[in-house]
Amino acid sequence: MLSSAASSLFWMARYLERAESQARLLDVSLTMALIDVPEDRIEQLSVPLLVSGTREIFFDYYTEITPQNLINFLLLDSRHPTSVFNIIQNARDNALHVRGNLSSDVWESINQAWLEMRELQHRGVTESNASSVFDWVRERSHLFRGAAYGTLLRNDAFHFLRLGTFIERAETTARVLDIRHVMAMKAEQEHATQVFFEWTAVLHSLAAFEAYQNTYGHNLDAMSVAELLILEPAVPRSLHVCLGEIASLLEQVESGEAQESRRLASSLYANIRFGNRDYIAERGLHIYLVDFLERIQHIAGQIQKDYMGWQG
Amino acid sequence: MLIQTPAEGLYDELFDENNRVRPQCRMLEHWLVNSNEELIAEKRREANVLFQRLGITFNVYGEDQGADRLIPFDLIPRVISASDWHTLQTGLRQRIQALNRFLYDIYHDYDIVKAGVISAEQVFANPQYQPGMQNLKLPRNLYCHIAGIDLIRHSDGNFYVLEDNLRCPSGVSYMLENRRMMMRLFPELFAHSAVAPVEHYPNLLGETLRAASLKPDPTVVVLTPGRFNSAYFEHAFLARQMGIELVEGADLFVAQNKVYMKTTTGPQQVDVIYRRIDDDFLDPLAGNPDSMLGVAGLYAAYRTGNVVLTNAVGNGVADDKSIYPYVPDMIRFYLDEEPILKNVPTWQCRNPKDLQYVLEHLPELVVKEAQGAGGYGMLIGPKACKKELDLFRSLLKARPQDYIAQPTLSLSTCPTFVEEGVAPRHLDLRPFVLSGKKIQMVPGGLTRVALEKGSLVVNSSQGGGTKDTWVLEDDPC
Repeated sequence: MLSSAASSLFWMARYLERAESQARLLDVSLTMALIDVPEDRIEQLSVPLLVSGTREIFFDYYTEITPQNLINFLLLDSRHPTSVFNIIQNARDNALHVRGNLSSDVWESINQAWLEMRELQHRGVTESNASSVFDWVRERSHLFRGAAYGTLLRNDAFHFLRLGTFIERAETTARVLDIRHVMAMKAEQEHATQVFFEWTAVLHSLAAFEAYQNTYGHNLDAMSVAELLILEPAVPRSLHVCLGEIASLLEQVESGEAQESRRLASSLYANIRFGNRDYIAERGLHIYLVDFLERIQHIAGQIQKDYMGWQG
Repeated sequence: MLIQTPAEGLYDELFDENNRVRPQCRMLEHWLVNSNEELIAEKRREANVLFQRLGITFNVYGEDQGADRLIPFDLIPRVISASDWHTLQTGLRQRIQALNRFLYDIYHDYDIVKAGVISAEQVFANPQYQPGMQNLKLPRNLYCHIAGIDLIRHSDGNFYVLEDNLRCPSGVSYMLENRRMMMRLFPELFAHSAVAPVEHYPNLLGETLRAASLKPDPTVVVLTPGRFNSAYFEHAFLARQMGIELVEGADLFVAQNKVYMKTTTGPQQVDVIYRRIDDDFLDPLAGNPDSMLGVAGLYAAYRTGNVVLTNAVGNGVADDKSIYPYVPDMIRFYLDEEPILKNVPTWQCRNPKDLQYVLEHLPELVVKEAQGAGGYGMLIGPKACKKELDLFRSLLKARPQDYIAQPTLSLSTCPTFVEEGVAPRHLDLRPFVLSGKKIQMVPGGLTRVALEKGSLVVNSSQGGGTKDTWVLEDDPC
């Protein structure tokens, strides 16, 4: 397939995954801010800004972190690239470029999301209806996935699209886990009761709360949460599942001489597959995750070099 | 619903001159009369939502907020009887055959010029003539693989060819999507009438494009100027329907006079390019040096015979308005047949006698630029004010060779949903003719309708809409 098409499919899927995870994060943070002790509220609200790396840009436009400002900034603001509005627009732009590689169902699901997003931006979103908007984003994402699974040919177009999804998802899981972990460590020293909520927030942000209850019961502790989200092969957003998918997709992609991204992905996958919680605890979760993020970004870069490198 | 009857002296597609419903339209009229307004309004809204979601939008040049506008779609189909279509089809075949022969001739033997049918100046001094195409051997001697012929029906009931489009005719995706929309909204209508299918157009197009190369299994791509082009939706639509790659200039490169596309597994050679880019933008080395849309070296690869372009380069000379008056003569010259489809009488302002006539009768004539397209830069005499007439008078005197004039035609009308209800509006017809191993077309084409009362301009860039076009399989007895 065309390199430029592979690139657009990859990014289209990344953006859609990003829209979903950003909505989840924002949703959880707004809820957590209500539970949290008042002095920590700001800190709670800034989690999505930290995860998306937009804390500085936020203060270019707003003076104060409030729920409404956060909703405006992360959901609707078209002045910076990380709002859900712009993320969906970018997904749609990429989809338009590969319109020929998409089924009508997939294209329409994305185009419709964009049309409705424009509507939403026009009408505005407040704290009181934000939840329904987050639900809407999640539903659009499910719809896209359903349409993609149900109607796309299982060819390289599909493989590059899925690569985008799992690269983005692995990055998000690692980032959320890392930032929440740091906050939980801090809370442990200050308000012990807050620790429980921190870990609940991680699990909710990554749609893994029920999975945790299933696996470990009610006993929430840091290493079990980390184990679940890193090593557990049954949790859809765990690093284990993401890397397994990435490695296997790269095996399926038709390839010329380019082997480097395959090698990198298989090696990182083996590390996680045969890893255990003691090793992670020994190295320290933060250091482990920082290292992981560096390696996953390297893989993403290598995929673009191997298959989409014509673009310059 | 109440259907307004047409104005007198015009041909209406639904009513005959005594305001009786034409036999092929009885079913449609019955349906219209018995439909209630609310249901129709509801269906119109539904159609709008569906078109939006499909992303069938277009951009208008010179209009900033024009991005992503919908072309208005009218729910009342335009019906063509089986016998009318039969005549049209035979006439179109004949016309395209002659035009193809003409293009071959003016780039090889110049017989038609030598015979004095057309002056050398009009062919060789035409800005669209490409000397670089001389003596180039093209597979099957084919130049216009895909043609869109614009026809109108005059008050005498006959179809007249208004314009031949032999470069990058567009609109076929609307023909296909309009049909899909009608079948979705009104399945019951199709259950009761034998409407000839058009859905196989992409198959025929694919067949035509593969036949453009003599290779057994050529690699075919669609070349688009990109996402911001007004017809991008159509380019993507056709590529998808044919299962071939949609490429932009940046996806292609030329090495050793061969064209390759950049793929995830390395370079892949391309044999046929269905290009939707004008001649001048194809290759910055040969045409417009600032073109970002084309591929450097493409023209040399084409000249070497390593890639086929559909349509061929240099077709513009044959669909030029100053060559148009000669098409009936071409048919006689190359095929030794009488033209089946009529031409609109045309005054060529380059001839002093014609110019004089035009200047004297300006208020009753339509004046067009010989090179213009899309309804830009034309004068409709009967609708023009004195200022416009004066402007065109001085333009005509200054550069008479740039203009042609035609009588103001009474385009036929068809009932159309408008604000005031169901009223007659003017329309035209663009069938798409494919030339490969043989000449093929799907029944019908794109019907464009002028939505403003009395307006004769059907171009989508000027506020025209479209209708589904029904060719009936059999005439009713």
